[in-house]
Amino acid sequence: MKKKGLTSALALTTLVPSLAFAVDFQADGTSIFRLEQRATPGFEKQTVAPFTQFAGVDVDKLADGNLSLHLYGWERVDLGDSSTGEKKNDGELSYGYLRYRFARANGDLKAGRFVVNEGIASEQLDGVAGRTDLAKGFALSAFAGAPVKLDRGSNTKGSFIAGGRGSYAYGSILEVGISGVHEKGGIYEPLTGNKYDRELVGGDFWLRPEKHVELNGRGSYDASTDGMAEQSYQLKLFPLKNVTVSGLYNDADLAHYFSASNLRSLFNPDLGGKVKSYGGAVTWNVAAPVDVTGDFRHIKRSDSIDQNLNGDSNRYGADLRLNFLDKKVRPGVSYHRVEGATGFNSYHEIRGYCMYDNGRYQGSVDGIAQLFKSSLYQVKNAYEAVASAGWRIIPALALSGEVSYSRNPWATDDVRGLVRLTFNYISESKGANK
Amino acid sequence: MTGAKLFGIVVAVSGMLTIGACAVISKQESLPAWHPEALGEGRPDCVECHEDQIKGVAKGPTTFKHTTEFIRQHRFYAAQDGKLCEICHKASFCNTCHANEREIKPSVFLGNRPDRELIHRGDYLSVHMIDGKVDPTSCYRCHGRANNEKCVRCHR
Ligand code: HEC
Ligand code: HEC
Ligand code: HEC
Ligand code: HEC
Ligand code: HEC
Repeated sequence: MKKKGLTSALALTTLVPSLAFAVDFQADGTSIFRLEQRATPGFEKQTVAPFTQFAGVDVDKLADGNLSLHLYGWERVDLGDSSTGEKKNDGELSYGYLRYRFARANGDLKAGRFVVNEGIASEQLDGVAGRTDLAKGFALSAFAGAPVKLDRGSNTKGSFIAGGRGSYAYGSILEVGISGVHEKGGIYEPLTGNKYDRELVGGDFWLRPEKHVELNGRGSYDASTDGMAEQSYQLKLFPLKNVTVSGLYNDADLAHYFSASNLRSLFNPDLGGKVKSYGGAVTWNVAAPVDVTGDFRHIKRSDSIDQNLNGDSNRYGADLRLNFLDKKVRPGVSYHRVEGATGFNSYHEIRGYCMYDNGRYQGSVDGIAQLFKSSLYQVKNAYEAVASAGWRIIPALALSGEVSYSRNPWATDDVRGLVRLTFNYISESKGANK
Repeated sequence: MTGAKLFGIVVAVSGMLTIGACAVISKQESLPAWHPEALGEGRPDCVECHEDQIKGVAKGPTTFKHTTEFIRQHRFYAAQDGKLCEICHKASFCNTCHANEREIKPSVFLGNRPDRELIHRGDYLSVHMIDGKVDPTSCYRCHGRANNEKCVRCHR
């Protein structure tokens, strides 16, 4: 199924150039060659050399000028030992669809494989989707098709999926939406082998009562298990032109939130449990070249049948981002702390990087240290340093590469190399580079 | 069966919304297929070029200004304003992080972009054991129903 998708995608790409005379054509590719010496303690030393080709094609202005075609996928072959411990080649068609855009009402039709994000629905499907604005601030969208299955455990997704969102906006003050998804046989009960329909309904809103205040919210209700799955709210304040203050509240009931999980060893709805978190962030653009963000979050897990998963954790930290010389030089430093609840581990994360890009040559160094409170496999710290260099040979072609060195609980001295060739051909110069 | 009922209600309500809106399609011009102006390096500050209002967009430019916090909470905006994101972002941009199966983590795929807000930097195999315990809800937005290929090696 997946392979067939990829083959037909490739067949389509060979067709495309012959159509390219009147249309806007863009092809881009990223070829990544990795060379890694893997030395996991307790395992045999391995040399892996995977080559992965990512390729995308966008053809605009087809037919009457409003039709376009979009394809993207990847294919990997292992030149050395298997890089995944499984077959030495793999690939996926991430998306491949035709899109028709109407000149009015932001009308839009899609057919093929694509991702939809409509309110509480975020799905990848093989099917059709459409949307349009209606008069007086209303808008409507709908999608239907087959959910895209995973390679493994492919019986854990449903056979049919449909959903949509309806919304109403009042000027630039308010937007409210309701959305839903229905997936036939979307819940797989591993113990009994039974399948149930997955049903999620929800709402979202955005409110700006005043120029300096915005409130966002969304909530989802799991109708297959009858319970509120998740609620999220964000309050954003703009007290000054260059300062944003935000507050966040999130509340999830895992019995309902995880109800459609197909990885139940990890995301187990039967254990129940609630996760509530609140926090906030302040972003201050001190001056054009200086940007500071501080963030904090308190997370409370409770009511799980497995008592070890309950507890209160904190996460906080700050990021400093700078830029000089017309954004050619961009350094940054950050610090984050995760203070796990009793029984969880904790860590400090310290990171620093500097990047240079003059359009033709590019280089960067990036270092990160993660310091754990309790050791993992007798090791307390993880370090990684990455150096990158790149050269834009012609506007459409760039070569870049990285060397990374790391020491962590999984590897004592890990050296990895990566070479990347990025290709981006655009047939007609556009306002903005896609 | 209350589930099916609720779903029916939602369908009915959205149907009524359609009729309530007189089944009239808006006559407003669509957003351009692509953002007409080339943007410089790094995160765009919409306010820099758009004053109080962006033509064809109800929300203001401050709403979409790409601050660090906007990027971290982009899910609120992606859920309501996909049509706007699409004028600057191809789906492949989102796919770097939102993949069903990808194999290469975002910070390696874009190892030459340390300035990006990429997830899973450093030794994430170690860190994930802590992050995943502290708050598994954010993981479930990407793993658990999709992109499980890597996880099942250790989590059966
Ligand atoms: C470098 C300046 C610049 C930045 C930064 C910028 N824009 Fe624009 N934008 C323009 C120009 C110029 C136009 C076309 C002229 C016009 O119609 O206003 C435009 C047009 C648009 C349009 C189409 C409106 C129409 O003409 O129909 C939208 C939508 C839009 N911008 C959204 C955004 C958003 C959202 C951001 C921030 C994420 C942003 N822009 C950042 C310069 C900019
Ligand atoms: C006017 C154009 C424009 C619009 C509209 C726009 N973006 Fe962006 N966005 C950008 C640019 C430019 C970047 C920076 C890309 C880079 O650094 O390579 C970016 C970066 C991002 C990033 C990644 C940042 C990082 O550091 O990794 C996310 C996530 C994102 N945008 C989400 C969205 C969402 C969601 C929407 C719709 C609500 C949206 N954007 C609308 C131009 C836009
Ligand atoms: C740099 C990585 C990255 C990129 C690029 C990115 N996202 Fe995300 N996205 C995330 C993360 C991380 C989360 C989870 C955030 C959270 O838990 O609050 C997320 C969450 C979301 C969600 C919520 C999903 C759910 O099930 O609730 C949507 C929708 C979304 N992103 C859409 C987009 C779109 C559209 C784009 C492209 C314009 C995009 N994202 C690009 C990292 C990314
Ligand atoms: C925005 C989507 C997104 C979110 C949210 C997300 N991940 Fe991932 N994760 C990815 C992608 C993409 C990869 C790359 C590997 C792949 O696709 O196979 C990945 C890889 C991983 C890996 C393998 C890393 C490695 O070094 O091989 C682990 C472990 C992981 N994620 C755990 C988590 C945990 C735990 C969370 C929550 C705290 C989380 N992820 C949240 C998208 C996401
Ligand atoms: C190399 C093995 C390995 C891989 C691959 C792996 N994990 Fe883990 N994961 C672990 C270990 C070990 C723990 C810690 C278990 C403990 O402390 O009880 C863990 C813990 C977790 C937790 C915390 C939950 C709990 O009950 O402890 C989450 C969530 C998680 N992993 C998600 C993921 C996701 C999502 C992926 C795939 C993207 C993934 N893991 C891939 C080994 C792995």
